[in-house]
Amino acid sequence: MTAAGIHRPPPGAAEARPASRRALATLRLAWLYLVSRRAPAAAGLLAALGALLRAALHGNWSVAGGPAAQQVLPLVIETGAAAVIAVTTYGPFGDTERATGRWLPWLRLGTALLLTAVAAGALAAGATGGHLPGGSLALARNLAGMTGTGLLAAAALGGAFAWTGPMAYWLITESALTRSWTTPWTWPARPPHDLGAALCAYGVFAAGTAAVTLLGARHSSRRPAPE
Amino acid sequence: MTAATSAPVRHQPPHASRSVPLTAARLLRLELRRNPMPWILPLIAAAFWFDSYRPSTTQPPIWVLRTFWNMGQGHTIIDFGPFVAGVAAWAGSRDVRRGIADLVTVTARSRWAAQLASWAATAIWAVGGYLVFVAVMFGVYAHQGVQGSPPWWWVAVGAAAVTAFCAAGFAVGALFPSRFAAPLAAFGAFLVMAMSSRTGFSHTSGWALILPTNSNGNYQPPSGIFYPYLPDLPIARVMFLAGIAVAALGLIGLPAGAGGPWLRRTAAVVTLAGVVAAGTGVGLAGTARLGPHGMVIPALHDAASDRPIRYTPVCGQSAGVAVCLNPAYRQFLPDVTAALRPVLGEVAGLPGGPVRATQVAGAYSSGEGEVGAPMTISGRPPVLRMPLGSLNLPGAFGGSTAQFAQQLKLLSVHAFTGAGAGPGTPAQQAVQAALLQGAGVPFSAQNGVLSAVGLPSWASATLQPPASGHGAGPAEEDGPGPATGPVHAAARRLAALPPSARHAWLAAHLGALRSGQLTLAQLP
Repeated sequence: MTAAGIHRPPPGAAEARPASRRALATLRLAWLYLVSRRAPAAAGLLAALGALLRAALHGNWSVAGGPAAQQVLPLVIETGAAAVIAVTTYGPFGDTERATGRWLPWLRLGTALLLTAVAAGALAAGATGGHLPGGSLALARNLAGMTGTGLLAAAALGGAFAWTGPMAYWLITESALTRSWTTPWTWPARPPHDLGAALCAYGVFAAGTAAVTLLGARHSSRRPAPE
Repeated sequence: MTAATSAPVRHQPPHASRSVPLTAARLLRLELRRNPMPWILPLIAAAFWFDSYRPSTTQPPIWVLRTFWNMGQGHTIIDFGPFVAGVAAWAGSRDVRRGIADLVTVTARSRWAAQLASWAATAIWAVGGYLVFVAVMFGVYAHQGVQGSPPWWWVAVGAAAVTAFCAAGFAVGALFPSRFAAPLAAFGAFLVMAMSSRTGFSHTSGWALILPTNSNGNYQPPSGIFYPYLPDLPIARVMFLAGIAVAALGLIGLPAGAGGPWLRRTAAVVTLAGVVAAGTGVGLAGTARLGPHGMVIPALHDAASDRPIRYTPVCGQSAGVAVCLNPAYRQFLPDVTAALRPVLGEVAGLPGGPVRATQVAGAYSSGEGEVGAPMTISGRPPVLRMPLGSLNLPGAFGGSTAQFAQQLKLLSVHAFTGAGAGPGTPAQQAVQAALLQGAGVPFSAQNGVLSAVGLPSWASATLQPPASGHGAGPAEEDGPGPATGPVHAAARRLAALPPSARHAWLAAHLGALRSGQLTLAQLP
């Protein structure tokens, strides 16, 4: 038995094939992570919520009352989108997954940002042609802030119950709308160009994203160690 | 040789028949211990405090006003329902989520029975939490000396609503198990409540009365003080919500894995029964008509609910006239006597002037609050009858003591001029404006008082531009504005007279004024 029949690869091929393999592996890893978090299903639900917003705006589903009441249904739909994004942080693998490598925080960050962008796009598309109180600027701000509450809830309560964050915040917002509160922390009650409200909303989104990226969703009864 | 003949006969253990309920109780206990609902109750408690209790504390200490937001408009349900639906969906999807659906399907108990035990535990936690939170809130109200009687029927509606959300959420989780079941069930519940509010605010009759957020014509000040809360509509709502719960639980038993054919047929019957119950509730609500004390559903109405609540009035003196209120309004007696003092002082001794002022129950209106109940002067000797529940009591919905006093003065003067349910003739309007000026409501403030929310419709009609050939109203334009025009010119002349001269003129012309025969030109 000899090695006479073995051909040497051409010079340079050895470096090229691992590089492409690495890229493919990275893409595959990202895709597997997205699938494990049910991101495709989440994207479908976000598209459905966009369609629901379109139906609400074009079908005149608004709540009877003043301008504040007109915001209620769009806000409920934005809350639903934030809740869907938040529960994608739930993972069944726990420590096993956390021990697999250094890419996990980046995958978490990328998933959160990607789904938030998908939600913003779906809702903005749904609002096209209809009268959305505050316009797309307010939509993006409100969605970002509510998603932030969901991601913070994921870090504190776990991915399975992360939806409680946006839902609880919606109740606060409803009171703020009814009573004309002016604090920027109830950003949906503020005008779309309000700087304080935007800082609060995007600040909460940044905090939520950072918490989920670094800590991950709380698993079981133990808080995972920072990656 | 065997022991067969000598061995004692072994009988069936006497407790064998009890084993089924014991096993069910044990299963329920296990489910209660491992249920996720208790973990969400602190969050619901925070939402309940923030959204249901805290806003109510600004209202006057009268049960029907304190609980208008959280019970009448169903905010306790809004605070509980979505969270309960979400957690119930999580509990309902447990077996599939944990990958043990096949395992539990082959156990001795049918799948449906085990799921019902899981749902029952979830519902016990949820409804128990609801009742405890409401009990604590009501206890705090009672400690604060809130007057009247609590709206117990609305508590029952809330408990039924929590049960229905729990059943619907559980069904979503059991039939569509995934990580998205919980947020979608909660979102669906939020959407339902938002749509319910939307429909409830705009529908004053028909099927929409079944919605527990709809307070139109069924939650107004006379209830719990002068008359009991009418249970007709709450009974229909409980029927509707219980029907939804039963139908949702029946749905869980329909899939092939839920049990044998007999059990699935039973589940179908249960589902149908739930749908029928819910439909019956909607149908009954559609037959509701507005009565003087609330919504009456003929098929459910008990005449005993129309009996007034007995009470001993609390009385004070105002310009020598006894002013008597329901004891639930005791804290407002000083405000009422102070507000009526200048008015009663102006009309004292005049023919038809009231010798007594007493609070009466206002009639229900079809809107959200009791609106349009005018004061009247009637009887011999004449008595001023005041439905105070229709006014913006100090603290109620942002009302102040000064606004309350001004509205009392306006309504009592309007009753004195004999204008009745309409804005009155120009002469009556002029006398009304002059007497109000004398009672401390300047001309410049009168249009603002007339435009206040909660007054009878004649108040806003007074502000309308005058009808052709009918003289001029107090304001030349629609809405509050400067007190100008012929009516106010005549009122200013009358007000400028010395009190004794004005009194003498009123004594001489009161009959003609009240009968509507006096013209503006005949005023001094």
